[in-house]
Amino acid sequence: MIETMHLEKSFGHIRAVNDVTLTMADGEIFGLVGTNGAGKSTFLRLLAGVLRPDGGEILVDQEKIWDNPARKADLFFVPSDFYFFPNATPQEMGAYFAALYPKFDRARYEKLLREFGIDRTRRIQEFSKGMKRQTAILLGISSGTKYLLLDETFDGLDPLMRQQVRTLFAGDMAERGLTPILTSHDLRDIEDLCDRIGLLHAGGILLSEDLAGLREGMQKVQVVFASEADRAALLSKVSVKSDKKRGKLETILVEANREQTEAAFRAVGTVYFEILPLTLEEVFISKTEGMKSDGDVRTDSLD
Amino acid sequence: MSVIDYRDARPIYEQITERYKTLILKGALLPDEQMPSVRSLAMELATNPNTVQKAYAELERQGFIYTVRGRGNFVSGGSQLLEQKTKELAESLHALQKEAADLGIDWSRVEEKAGECHD
Repeated sequence: MIETMHLEKSFGHIRAVNDVTLTMADGEIFGLVGTNGAGKSTFLRLLAGVLRPDGGEILVDQEKIWDNPARKADLFFVPSDFYFFPNATPQEMGAYFAALYPKFDRARYEKLLREFGIDRTRRIQEFSKGMKRQTAILLGISSGTKYLLLDETFDGLDPLMRQQVRTLFAGDMAERGLTPILTSHDLRDIEDLCDRIGLLHAGGILLSEDLAGLREGMQKVQVVFASEADRAALLSKVSVKSDKKRGKLETILVEANREQTEAAFRAVGTVYFEILPLTLEEVFISKTEGMKSDGDVRTDSLD
Repeated sequence: MSVIDYRDARPIYEQITERYKTLILKGALLPDEQMPSVRSLAMELATNPNTVQKAYAELERQGFIYTVRGRGNFVSGGSQLLEQKTKELAESLHALQKEAADLGIDWSRVEEKAGECHD
């Protein structure tokens, strides 16, 4: 388990990570999402022990990670710009990481390189972006660490490669309890893959929840009200996050669970209403918008 | 067999659950037949093993499969499943009747039209 408590990191006067308290459980995939510059990469670099926190604490299996080689041996960090030595081949990079990570499985690494169609004797600097990315991920998975931290996980990978990488994660999670911690811009990737997500915004954590819980707390409803009075009656009863109207049809984001939402809409006159599935993207946008202009977006009269 | 449809907005564990319920009810998987292991299904679908585990837990809760400790998951059998399916069909029918009522369509008209359909 990795825990952070009131974690802080600044660069000059810019506070990149601001009071972040999170728990990442063993055997689960944790996904970090956030706007550009929200502090995702800084957060991962702190977790990996590459950066030293200005304040707060990081515990990896109950021990501090900073300057702790024993704990670092159980953690592999794949940054978005993974560093390969000049002129190095995949084989040479494998030898390097085998020297750093006691559990590095060289036979498996070579097998995976073959499966992914990567020539182990070619110079990595001649590789395409996607091939470099694959090589970095294969180095990470072959290191046999409990934690695998991946920044911009699927960046530059084609759909087939994404699938292959996800299959690798699935196998290692089921077999040896691998705990992947990843960031991605593609919310659909995160949504489909992660047990839990953390939403970072302007350095601070907005929320950390399991995805089912996240969805339960907000509902998207398409509705045609019978009259203006019915519309006003409903809006006075529920907490509305956003409200878009196209002709007679309105799409309303309500902060409530499904039963409450259904009851509220049933109680007023509607020509038609339907509760639609909410995507992570919609949750993400509504939450970050809410932060930017606190109060302006909310049109509810409750709380 | 494609289990996961990424355009489908339902959570993946729900899609897996539904898919296996259909396979079991249609007899594609027979009573006491072993389900794929969580690991192999997760790898086949390139998804999170916890998601597959959650789908299996749901299938077990609904009586479609049973777990033998240390050996894996197996398909349940018998009348119980048909009872479950009957309940589901009744719910679907109820939803259709409600939709017809909402749109002001007389249900007897729907039945009449259904009678005209040929398979």
